Amino acid sequence: MTRTPRRRHVALALPSALLAAGCAAPSRGTGRTGDPIVLTLLSHYASGALKEALRGPVDEWNTTHDRVKVATKAVEFTDLLTTVMVRQAAGQGADLLHPYCLWNGQLVRAGVLRPAPAPHAAEIRRGYGAAAVGSASVDGTVYGYPTELQTYALYYNKRLLREAGVGGPPRTWRELEDTAYRTARRDRYGNTLVQGFGLSAFDDSTTVGQTLALLSTAGGRFVSPDGRRTDLDSAAGRAVFDLERRLVARGASDPGVNVYSAFASGQVAMVISAGWWTADLKSLMGRAYRDVGVVPVPLPEAGGERATLATGFMLGVNTAARHPREAWEFLRWLNTDKVRGTTRMSALQVSVGSLTGRADDMRTLLGAGADPNLRPFLDALGYAVPEPNMPGAQQAKSLLRKNIEALWTGRQSVDEALRTTRRQVDQEVARSW
Amino acid sequence: MVNATLTPETTRRAAPGAPATGIHGRDRRGRRQAVVAYLFLAPALLFFAVFLVLPLGFAVLLSTSRWAGFDLGDIQPVGLDNFAALFADGSTFLTPVLTNTLLFALGTVALALAGSVLVATCIDNLRFQGLWRTLYFLPIVTTVVAVGNVWKYMYEPGGLVNGVLNALGFGSVAFLQDPDTALPSVVVVQAWASVGSAILVLTAGLKSIPETYYEAAALDGAGPGTVFLRITLPLLRPSLVFVCVTQFLTGLQSFALIIVMTKGGPGDATEVAALEMYRQAFSYGDWGTASAAAFVLFAVVLTVTLAQLWFFRRRGEDV
Repeated sequence: MTRTPRRRHVALALPSALLAAGCAAPSRGTGRTGDPIVLTLLSHYASGALKEALRGPVDEWNTTHDRVKVATKAVEFTDLLTTVMVRQAAGQGADLLHPYCLWNGQLVRAGVLRPAPAPHAAEIRRGYGAAAVGSASVDGTVYGYPTELQTYALYYNKRLLREAGVGGPPRTWRELEDTAYRTARRDRYGNTLVQGFGLSAFDDSTTVGQTLALLSTAGGRFVSPDGRRTDLDSAAGRAVFDLERRLVARGASDPGVNVYSAFASGQVAMVISAGWWTADLKSLMGRAYRDVGVVPVPLPEAGGERATLATGFMLGVNTAARHPREAWEFLRWLNTDKVRGTTRMSALQVSVGSLTGRADDMRTLLGAGADPNLRPFLDALGYAVPEPNMPGAQQAKSLLRKNIEALWTGRQSVDEALRTTRRQVDQEVARSW
Repeated sequence: MVNATLTPETTRRAAPGAPATGIHGRDRRGRRQAVVAYLFLAPALLFFAVFLVLPLGFAVLLSTSRWAGFDLGDIQPVGLDNFAALFADGSTFLTPVLTNTLLFALGTVALALAGSVLVATCIDNLRFQGLWRTLYFLPIVTTVVAVGNVWKYMYEPGGLVNGVLNALGFGSVAFLQDPDTALPSVVVVQAWASVGSAILVLTAGLKSIPETYYEAAALDGAGPGTVFLRITLPLLRPSLVFVCVTQFLTGLQSFALIIVMTKGGPGDATEVAALEMYRQAFSYGDWGTASAAAFVLFAVVLTVTLAQLWFFRRRGEDV
């Protein structure tokens, strides 16, 4: 071989080597027995109180453990799934992942999540409520420690109800409708002054969350237990869609208004939302927060069985993790070891206005002096049903949102919305399996 | 340098016993120069390879495969299944996604073209032309997120637009919440945001029209309307073609404005192809469908662009 082609090869190899060096995985310890191990944890606790809250226990672990250290990496929630995807494809997946449980089916199907070892799975089943365990499981297999768990309840504005002559918050759908019509007000141009019942079109989670919470009170469910087909096209589904359509058509709901800012401004009488919102409302509303009350999601008929929706996050271990045993040990320490009567994760979540699926911890932490508005969310831990998380769950949720919005805007009748949702979701979910 | 590499083989063949500094030396020098040339080209070639050739090849592979986006070893070939799924019964890709995309692009081009022709003609007859051009160009240097959010607030039930309507005695319009008005409302914003660049091109086109035509028309007693239709518009056609083609391409690929203003809603009233591709890949982990949709959109863009060029060339324009 002459020198010229060799130089050409060198010229080509040099940039490749630089690229490869740039893409090289970060140091995670040598892996030799006795050498330090660095576990990476990817979460969406990227800023503010969440970031600080996670830093506390991680710093504590790092100061009390010589061999295994934990390094956190955080991105905004909107970038979390993309980041997991890109890092995994590049061979740089974090050892510990903190996914939204909705994605669990997708992550398990793609081989990203490692099933919890038997002792950990047993600990999780024993220590957490059914909704939390269900959220962290796929097809009956537990994949991680549940962390933040959100249940849905009805927020209402006491002042608006009082001004409309309504004695108390609704307990049934009939009372909900009646209260919504009595509290709703519009000006002469049709602009909404007060929404009786807020229907949020803000994003997939808020739009679908409130609908599925109502659906669960009617005994219905979005997908079948095995997650392979929709169950929405049922009497319960029709009842929920009918209720929402009536509320919009009769002017009690205006999905065009941002419910989350309108409620804080005293322009929405009632809305179904998750527990995390209480902390936001407190800071947004100031003294006006005393007008806010929370009760369980109203039932179709009085005396029915309580139900609502639960959504959550979990901490799991990557299949690509080089030190899974150490990773699970860190998770056990963070999620089950008790300090002053509660786990570190429960204390962390409550400090940022959230809940975990550990009812005993929540009762301890939210004992005397806690915001009474958190009580219904805590009670709901006992009866909430987990959000479906089969493969394709995210797409199913987006398709459901589109059809709910088409229903609200009158583009589809109740029957059409139910039929279209079933057809589209069944078709897409089938592709995901 | 290039000539050296093109030297005929016969002239480069060395005579037996010729000194090393002769033909052989020139040959070596030529090769060395070629290597140096390739080294200089290497960054650009590498850039194209990494950011164009590799992604394109990968997209072709993915469009005929099933891949969840996590493990490169998990790419499963599925032939043309992804394309078939896009056009299968019940799929939303053709209607409303592709239909919305075309309507959005068409609406944007029509509005931006009409607006920019009108404004550019007015500016051409005004003093302080630089100032006016700068003012109209401002939306271009503003981020899409800011533009989208400001317009979103203006469209809201209690916003500026409805405030004006109410002041005039009209009822409020749910611009972004009504499926019938959502797409046209976003089209107006996209046209407004892109009119500045079109005005720049068109004012340059107007400046290039010789004054003698207008003088001759004035001598013949042509009115302003006749001058505009018979002189300005025909001679502006090359600039119009450029604006038309580039605006259409931008419209077909629009993503940011839609996601900021409507997220594709209400329902799927403003769902467009780029947004659907993004969701399929990054939210649903269906990279095969996303890549297949990208190639369908590419085919649409190519067809529309070629049709536009053919149409204008048929009318004698050198574009």
